[in-house]
Amino acid sequence: MTVAGIEYYTIDELMAVCMARTIKDGDTIFNGVAVPLPFTAIMLAFKTHAPNAVFWGGLLAGLNPDPPFLPPTSGDSVMLHGANPVLHLHQIFDLAMRGELDRIFFSGAQIDKFGNLNNTLIGSEDNIKIKLPGGAGSSHIGCFAGNFTIWSVRHEARISKKGDKVYTLVDSVDFITTLGHRTNMMTRDEMNLSGGGPDRVITNLGTFDFDPETKVMRLKTLHPGVSVEDIKANTGFEPVVDNRVSETPPPTREEVAIIRKLDPMETRKSGFSKEALEKKYDF
Amino acid sequence: MGIHSSREKLCSLTEAVSRIENGSIVAVGGNLSAREPMAIIREMIRQGKRDMHSIGGAHGVDIDLLCAGGVLKKVQNSYVGFEADFGLAPNYRRMVQEKKVIPLDTDCVAVLVQLRASVFGLPFMPMKLVSGTDILKLHPEYVTMSCPYTGEKVTLVPAVRPDWAIIHAHKSDPRGNVKLYPPYFADLLAVEASKNSIISVEEIVSEEEMNEIGATIPYYEVTAVVELPYGAHPTSCYPDYTYDRVHLSEYVSLGNRGEEVFKNEYLGKFVYGVKDHEEYLELVGGEKRLGELKKWNESDETWQRLLKEEVSAG
Repeated sequence: MTVAGIEYYTIDELMAVCMARTIKDGDTIFNGVAVPLPFTAIMLAFKTHAPNAVFWGGLLAGLNPDPPFLPPTSGDSVMLHGANPVLHLHQIFDLAMRGELDRIFFSGAQIDKFGNLNNTLIGSEDNIKIKLPGGAGSSHIGCFAGNFTIWSVRHEARISKKGDKVYTLVDSVDFITTLGHRTNMMTRDEMNLSGGGPDRVITNLGTFDFDPETKVMRLKTLHPGVSVEDIKANTGFEPVVDNRVSETPPPTREEVAIIRKLDPMETRKSGFSKEALEKKYDF
Repeated sequence: MGIHSSREKLCSLTEAVSRIENGSIVAVGGNLSAREPMAIIREMIRQGKRDMHSIGGAHGVDIDLLCAGGVLKKVQNSYVGFEADFGLAPNYRRMVQEKKVIPLDTDCVAVLVQLRASVFGLPFMPMKLVSGTDILKLHPEYVTMSCPYTGEKVTLVPAVRPDWAIIHAHKSDPRGNVKLYPPYFADLLAVEASKNSIISVEEIVSEEEMNEIGATIPYYEVTAVVELPYGAHPTSCYPDYTYDRVHLSEYVSLGNRGEEVFKNEYLGKFVYGVKDHEEYLELVGGEKRLGELKKWNESDETWQRLLKEEVSAG
């Protein structure tokens, strides 16, 4: 892959690389709905350090696709390009129930400190203020996938119409669509769930893992130009911050070249704020 | 499935849809932006179907339009929206928030296991343990028990036997042997699990041709077949045509302007304003526009251009 003309990288590319690095060679990977950035990350991993990954390209259930571009809707048949065989949808979910799905990527309209995700509703079941689309397969797959990577392109504080500060990373989600490490009542281990839950969180500001004792999100790396104070100002809870925080390793020029070739429609940029996308980072 | 042994399945759209009773449980075929039975759905709205309950996975404009048209009372899907493409489903969202539609949000895995219980003729199926989510609060019927053999905790889900599966496919012969090209999504399972099914197809072919290409869905699972070219529009039906992103962008933008605007400018025009599918196809641009949607396979550049198109502002 030629790297001529690759002079800078942008936040979507940095995030795709961070997400790709959560995939190990040989992992079985699936992603279903609303997935431009995960598709980019998975295809990048496939073309770099994880050529033996086993990947179902969305709900079309085509195995190991090699699409000429990534689509704005994951139901598009471009994700069947080069895929063989095309399986039946339930075969993916059966494999996950057998404990053979190593990793999947989930985002959330709300993400809390234990990695619980809300994609169902804002408000309460009796008083729904915003009906979100729903969690697709994340509710159950989150219980039995090996691990999942959480991602968010909106790690920020916004001011609501009422003047309140509104976060994507919240202290507690309004509704648990996908279980993280614990509810207020019980831990994942106490429930005897077979899956390991979320192990990494990749956002537009930095990356996190989870404190082994408290299961609260723990800051691991800061993206270039981001401070611990920025993280705290844009997070609705107190993340664990210790002395091991470092800067996020930059992508290589080759990784960025692969990403731009994979995704000429730049679907991976959807959802980010305009300001975030405008920043250009030096290698 | 019910056994539909008749070898004469061809039917008009009006006649086929008239058989669906109000209050039915309906499994809608296709997925997200792909191969949804939109012409059948528009006819269901025209016929004033009411109080229905959808069951299925990740969907988009199909469920949203069924809500807007007053057909659905309960939505038991795992996802209803337009992903990163256009965001939230405008009518579904509004009607749930106004308590006109009951959201029974579920999970793709649960739906597939529940349909398979119906296929196996069982009242329920165990699945790998799920726990800790609020989805379970919406579904008190999902219960946990210990396996009598190993003691492992498992989750039980009841069978769902839809009254109707409605599917758009590629080809059928007159007896109802249906050819579906990939991706299948969960369509084969939906038809097998349902009591009845209406299949609209791009093209009716002879029994000889179907014997040559091989059927995907056996005729005895099919109640009625309707020939409706472009019957999935505005969703895609690959390899025939891609989705009509111009039409969908207009749909979402009208939906986001509220109930009255959507009723007058979308339903009034594209659903109630046409007497049949042929008139609808003319209204959305006829062969000129529809022919454009077939050009996705001319080149990767053309395909990408079609997936970027939007209705022009103003």
